[in-house]
Amino acid sequence: MSRRRGLVISDEQMRLVDGVLAKLRRVSGSKFVALVSTSGQPITTSPPDVQSDTLSLAALAAGSFAATRQLAEVLCEREFTLLFHEGKESNLHVVQVTDQILLLITFGRETQVGRVRLYTSRALEVLKPVFEGAENVGGDDVIDRDYSREAGEAIDDMFPGQTNR
Amino acid sequence: MALINLAAREINYKIVYYGCGLCGKTTNIQYIHRRVNPAARGRLVSIATEEERTLYFDFLPLSLGTVKGLSTRFHLYTVPGQSFYNASRKLVLQGVDGVVFVADSQVSRLDENVDSYLNLWDNLMSQGEDPAKLGIVLQMNKRDLGSIFSVGDLTELLNHTDSPVVEACALTGVGVFETLKTVCKQAIARSTQS
Repeated sequence: MSRRRGLVISDEQMRLVDGVLAKLRRVSGSKFVALVSTSGQPITTSPPDVQSDTLSLAALAAGSFAATRQLAEVLCEREFTLLFHEGKESNLHVVQVTDQILLLITFGRETQVGRVRLYTSRALEVLKPVFEGAENVGGDDVIDRDYSREAGEAIDDMFPGQTNR
Repeated sequence: MALINLAAREINYKIVYYGCGLCGKTTNIQYIHRRVNPAARGRLVSIATEEERTLYFDFLPLSLGTVKGLSTRFHLYTVPGQSFYNASRKLVLQGVDGVVFVADSQVSRLDENVDSYLNLWDNLMSQGEDPAKLGIVLQMNKRDLGSIFSVGDLTELLNHTDSPVVEACALTGVGVFETLKTVCKQAIARSTQS
């Protein structure tokens, strides 16, 4: 069976990326920086705790960014490569790293948009090569028949078997 | 294939509920949100119109916990069912690992069901997905209503991939978790094979 297109993040990629995100957050004066997949799933964040809200943020930002790309198509523009939402207290900046990965940055009034954009573009120069051309391999040895069986048992335990009529 | 984060020991699967307008996709997700252990679920996000029709998508993250040392999550999405929202449906399908096709069993909804099913195939194939290789579950919803198609008829119309079939009444929860279990297990099994 052919391999379906997916995304596998390796230890080495994550080590490089976490350092870049932490530095970007510090030098740009941002509150929160996250790498998410274009399908809406979080990959890593700075600070590192993935909360429930991060999952929603990733899904919504990826959806919003995907819609922006379609808007570009409708307007006969080759692509819109960034998305910016400005609020009273906080702002959201989303940029594309590769065709499968987005970078999200949230920041408040204490920093400037230009500063965030400048350091984000520098961070992209480092982040892009980490993922571009990297083979999505390494998942085979973790998702095996044992994983599939144990996950199946966990699914049976987690979801109620009986429904309330 | 799912998003696998080897460094963080995480696996994420994307499950999409598909079907025509008012077939019960959002009702499925809302029932799951109400009934599943609150510690295992995240916030239910709905982008809906003022009439509570899905405008973009509903989103519910579920955590299965740790399996063989891997934190495993399912991200459940619905698509907007109304025909003019096809651009949104295409976006939500990106990176999908499993699909629940929710069919409205009522005889009066025949055309809408078939249109939506063909639209699913078109959208999957336009992004390079082979529907026959993707884990699809056919949920026949609204089995409690009168004037409905038989399981055999709906299977012939809407199941060209020989997918598992679940009879359901999403409003009362009948078949909702059976559908979810089936699609999740199928998505994992497919990622094992890929």
